[in-house]
Amino acid sequence: MVDINEDSIASRREFLKQAGGTAALGAGAAAALPSAAQAAVSETETKPRYGMLIDLRRCTGCHACSVACKAEFDVPLGSTRSWVEYVEKGNYPTVSRSFLPRLCNQCTNPPCVPVCPVNATWKREEDGIVVIDPDVCIGCKYCIQACPYDARFLNPVTGAADKCDFCLHRVAQGLVPSCVNTCIADARIFGDLNDPESKISKMIASNPVTVLRQEMGTEPNVYYINADHSDPRQPGQRHEYIRVDTHRRNQERA
Amino acid sequence: MSEEFTWGLPVIGYLFLAGVGAGALTVSASMFLRGGEGGRGMHVDTARYGALLAPFPIIIGSGLLVLELGSFQAGNWFRFLNLYKVLNLSPMSIGTWLITFTIGVSLVYAYTYVRNAPGLTIEQRYKLRNVVSWLAVPLGIATAVYTGILLGAMPSRPFWNSPILALLFLISALSTGVAAILLLRALFHRAAKEPESERHIVHTGYLLTASDAMLIGFELMAVFLFAMYAQLTIGNVREAVSVLFTGGSLASLFWIVFIVLGLIVPALIEIYYVVPKLLYHREFVIPKGVEIGVAVLVLVGGFTLRYVVVVAGQITGPIGI
Repeated sequence: MVDINEDSIASRREFLKQAGGTAALGAGAAAALPSAAQAAVSETETKPRYGMLIDLRRCTGCHACSVACKAEFDVPLGSTRSWVEYVEKGNYPTVSRSFLPRLCNQCTNPPCVPVCPVNATWKREEDGIVVIDPDVCIGCKYCIQACPYDARFLNPVTGAADKCDFCLHRVAQGLVPSCVNTCIADARIFGDLNDPESKISKMIASNPVTVLRQEMGTEPNVYYINADHSDPRQPGQRHEYIRVDTHRRNQERA
Repeated sequence: MSEEFTWGLPVIGYLFLAGVGAGALTVSASMFLRGGEGGRGMHVDTARYGALLAPFPIIIGSGLLVLELGSFQAGNWFRFLNLYKVLNLSPMSIGTWLITFTIGVSLVYAYTYVRNAPGLTIEQRYKLRNVVSWLAVPLGIATAVYTGILLGAMPSRPFWNSPILALLFLISALSTGVAAILLLRALFHRAAKEPESERHIVHTGYLLTASDAMLIGFELMAVFLFAMYAQLTIGNVREAVSVLFTGGSLASLFWIVFIVLGLIVPALIEIYYVVPKLLYHREFVIPKGVEIGVAVLVLVGGFTLRYVVVVAGQITGPIGI
């Protein structure tokens, strides 16, 4: 009997997780299934989903975030976990220059994860951060190919795939990621997207935000305010001057 | 292009060599089975070349892959064994297990063609050959298809993300497999003592040459559909395939080396020699030099296809940001 009960609780818990988000449904189910269901609901609510919002109205393109990231992880020369692209466009006198800080989008549907042949990379259940275990990774570079954001690279020192992990070691200590910490203009906001009271959730709710390559269906957890999505390869934009400076070894966007 | 490729020549070489090996294995085993007569059918003398060749390109190709692993280059030489601790839905994981079994089966299959093979009587050898052939045919096909799926699995690589790519690689693998068998036979075959088996050799040569012309026909169709459907879309895929057309950085390699030299020229030569027998029941005669030349062209075309596809997939990507 005990076993059967536990099974049914577990399956309800699964159901609630999948249904998650809709408070009304959660409340209704909680009324019907007293203690276990309540535990499940509160568990879903307390589990953070970390995200970042980059407010480009404030960004000055100073690269402090890139430098802080390099220093934090001792990223080998020629590789970048975090970088800032410059987008120049227009014909004089109608011109603009904007900045696009880039990092791993910690996608809700990360295309890099299912291609890994050795289960060396996964999206953490507890906070949604996509991580790599460099001691398991064989360096086959399949995930590097699969990432539509070119966020991954092969670390020549470890021989494993590497990328931004939202400074997991800092976040675990209650600190913000290094790039957020160093930003001179408070352009980067880090926080829990599952907490409607967090600064990031409020900012996203009250501003027009975009994500990169939304059409890929990856559902990024890095949001931008006022981002310029211009790309020199877009066929319709070829008549106007567009230059993207990636500030990476790969001079062109992947 | 100044940027370094994530997957370079070792991967291109692997895709080509695994294709040749898998194709030779499938072609050899299926022609052997079609020859009838238990262990010694009428095609067995030609099937032997495919059987003895097949394991080596697959093993060498897989070895190239290991050399390109980041872990291997960083000094963790045996980290690749992690592949054998997991079986998940990654095409690379499935492919690893598949190719391992294919190598095993191809080695056993090759062993049954070794004359006076230790540990086996002639009857056992023939029996084993028969059983293993039935495994070799599907495993060879699966290996060839998987090399295309490996590339096709990623929406972030629009050039590769096409269902017909795996079919194209399969046809190319079979065609290059036939070419490899004909090439080895032309290089190493000494006229048999009995006129009967020499007659079989000629007949098998005719069947293989005719099959290759047909395979190349299918390959041209697959390439046409691949390029045409890409051209008919708007956006990422169309942008990606534009590297093959006028002004594209891979256009001359694709059209001159792959399409013309690797497909059309060998197919026309094959048809020229096949038609007299096919239509007028005349003797099938093909000079050895021509046979070698055609086989080399087909193999060069097969390598060029892998090169163009692997490079094109990496110099193109989703447009916009």
